[in-house]
Amino acid sequence: MASLSIQNVKKSYGSVEVLKGIDLDLENGEFLVLLGPSGCGKSTLLNMIAGLDTITDGEILIDQTVVNDVHPKDRDIAMVFQSYALYPNMSVARNIGFGLEMRKVTKEERERRVDEAARMLQIDHLSDRKPAQLSGGQRQRVAMGRALVRDPEIFLFDEPLSNLDAKLRVEMRTEIKKLHQRLGTTMVYVTHDQIEAMTLASRIAILKEGEVQQFASPQEVYEKPANMYVAGFVGSPPMNFVPAAVVSENGKLGVSIERTANGSRGSVFLALPEDRQDISEWVGRDVILGIRPETLTHCSDSEMSLNNRLQAFDCQVEVLEPTGADTLTYIELGGREVIARVNPYNTTEPGETMAFMVDMGKASLFDPKTELRI
Amino acid sequence: MTDITALPGGKSPWQSAARFGLYTLLLIFAAYYILPLIVVLSTSMKDLDEIRNGTLLSLPAEINFDAWGYAWNEACIGVSCTGLKPYFWNSVAMTIPAVTISTLLGALTGFSLTKFKFKGANLIFAMILFGCFIPFQVVLLPMAQSLGFLGVANTVPGLVLVHIVYGLPFTVLFFRNYYVNIPDDLIKAATIDGAGFFMIFWRIMLPLSPPIIVVTVIWQFTQIWNDFLFGASFTTGGGQPVTVALNNLVNTTTGVKQYNVDMAAALITAAPTLAVYVLAGRYFVRGLTAGSVKG
Ligand SMILES: Nc1ncnc2c1ncn2[C@@H]1O[C@H](COP(=O)(O)OP(=O)(O)O)[C@@H](O)[C@H]1O
Ligand SMILES: [Mg+2]
Repeated sequence: MASLSIQNVKKSYGSVEVLKGIDLDLENGEFLVLLGPSGCGKSTLLNMIAGLDTITDGEILIDQTVVNDVHPKDRDIAMVFQSYALYPNMSVARNIGFGLEMRKVTKEERERRVDEAARMLQIDHLSDRKPAQLSGGQRQRVAMGRALVRDPEIFLFDEPLSNLDAKLRVEMRTEIKKLHQRLGTTMVYVTHDQIEAMTLASRIAILKEGEVQQFASPQEVYEKPANMYVAGFVGSPPMNFVPAAVVSENGKLGVSIERTANGSRGSVFLALPEDRQDISEWVGRDVILGIRPETLTHCSDSEMSLNNRLQAFDCQVEVLEPTGADTLTYIELGGREVIARVNPYNTTEPGETMAFMVDMGKASLFDPKTELRI
Repeated sequence: MTDITALPGGKSPWQSAARFGLYTLLLIFAAYYILPLIVVLSTSMKDLDEIRNGTLLSLPAEINFDAWGYAWNEACIGVSCTGLKPYFWNSVAMTIPAVTISTLLGALTGFSLTKFKFKGANLIFAMILFGCFIPFQVVLLPMAQSLGFLGVANTVPGLVLVHIVYGLPFTVLFFRNYYVNIPDDLIKAATIDGAGFFMIFWRIMLPLSPPIIVVTVIWQFTQIWNDFLFGASFTTGGGQPVTVALNNLVNTTTGVKQYNVDMAAALITAAPTLAVYVLAGRYFVRGLTAGSVKG
């Protein structure tokens, strides 16, 4: 276990700045997920933590010690690669034990630890096979075993599950989570899959073009996205963005939204809850209202009476997409397509008007110019 | 692999005729190429009377290897009548170290050029590659001077050095292009595991290299064993390789021309290259890295 601190780390390849000043701090035993689209610099950052690539500027500290000039083998880290990177000429046992062999661990000790790791990952029956004779999932486990056996201070994972099929991916995700709970070792995990990030992380760092967009717990990233990029990246279906204007009505601040109901176009007022009344400087200006599909559903009077953050409005239904548990109901708000999650028994036929309620306590407001959270 | 001739509906009369024509043509070409070898082989087994009285294409009346023994032990190369034997061993002593060292150096250089990339690695590779296009004749004089300077002129070690230097561009080219396709992640993983440059080379890269080693060895062996120009230019008398000795044997005219001995000597000279093809050829294509990368 170790803490990890990344301070203003930059990386350039020639004139191309790939990382533009990354700051991250991890406690002992945390599970950090670096989340972002392909090409945003996740692997580059991970390689720099591993020491496989030099840092252009800034510092990386492991347990309060600057490791900028420490060789990868002396950083006490282990890494699992997207390609698994198993040594093709060595048996499974040899692959797992190679790191120990290089560190001159005695043969008996090595065999004991390889055996232990293999059993933990349920690959002990494959010890004598070559990587070419393994399935994708088994190779993945061998790659994990190679990291596990070293008992490092920090585990680094670079998209370890992206070469597996969907079912295995979910299984291995759970196993990695269990592994983290059992070992309690600090882990840094790179992925472009927001579900992996949400399920595994103790904290998520969302990267875009070499910059951290938000560094927070999964719940906070989900509920209070720092900007529209994060809001759109996390969650499926993604957050709805509705152009709206901040107005004051009956002494309360809220947003006004255009929509069509019963064949006529008009605006509705959705009041903001008590704790969001502090935006008086925005009155009369345009904002973007961000609503998660599950906070927008059919209107229920009983729930409305219990929770004064819920606001009701009616709107014409465009398309229905049943998913079984919920029906995704497409409506149009402020000229944008918006998805609501509705109980299948409360849906209305397309073309007809239906009453909705939205939880304004869980809504986000964004500045349309900077796209930052208000 | 599927036999495409065995697919259903693939046997119309026209196709059979085309196939017949194709095979006939191939047989003619094969005969055209194999005939000289057959003539050489059969002549080497005839005695001189038979050669004079028979035709070129007739087969020997009885198989006799007298000419082979003579070429190996007694034939006169210039003024010394030792047969090809000492020169053959010269060639062996030259080829084996030259092939081994140039292949090993090629592998090491290819490895550093691809997996331990340094600034200017590509430029250096381009310059090494340039060496492939330098004709033998261009390096003769400077090489002669270098050999003299190093004190290895007219020796087998001198020839070894010449062939190593001249062969390096090719071996580097082969290994670099092979290693470029081995995933960098393997090297990263091994680095984290604590292996250094030579350990990675020895434990990871070399075990993946047999296919390219075979290609390189065949190439280098053929080049070096068959070389005539360097051998003729840099050695005289007892230090000559077998190719030069063969030339001298054939050109030594004392009395009657012994065609059977000439032919046997030619075959002895060519035998090692043939043997290398026959023995190593089948290891040519082997996907050893298969399965190391993708799932
Ligand atoms: N060795 C390199 N030389 C030049 N550019 C590179 C190099 N490695 C990565 N890059 C660039 O850096 C960016 C980030 O790459 P990477 O970290 O691999 O992205 P990710 O892992 O998030 O998909 C990409 O635009 C890539 O083209
Ligand atoms: Mg990547």
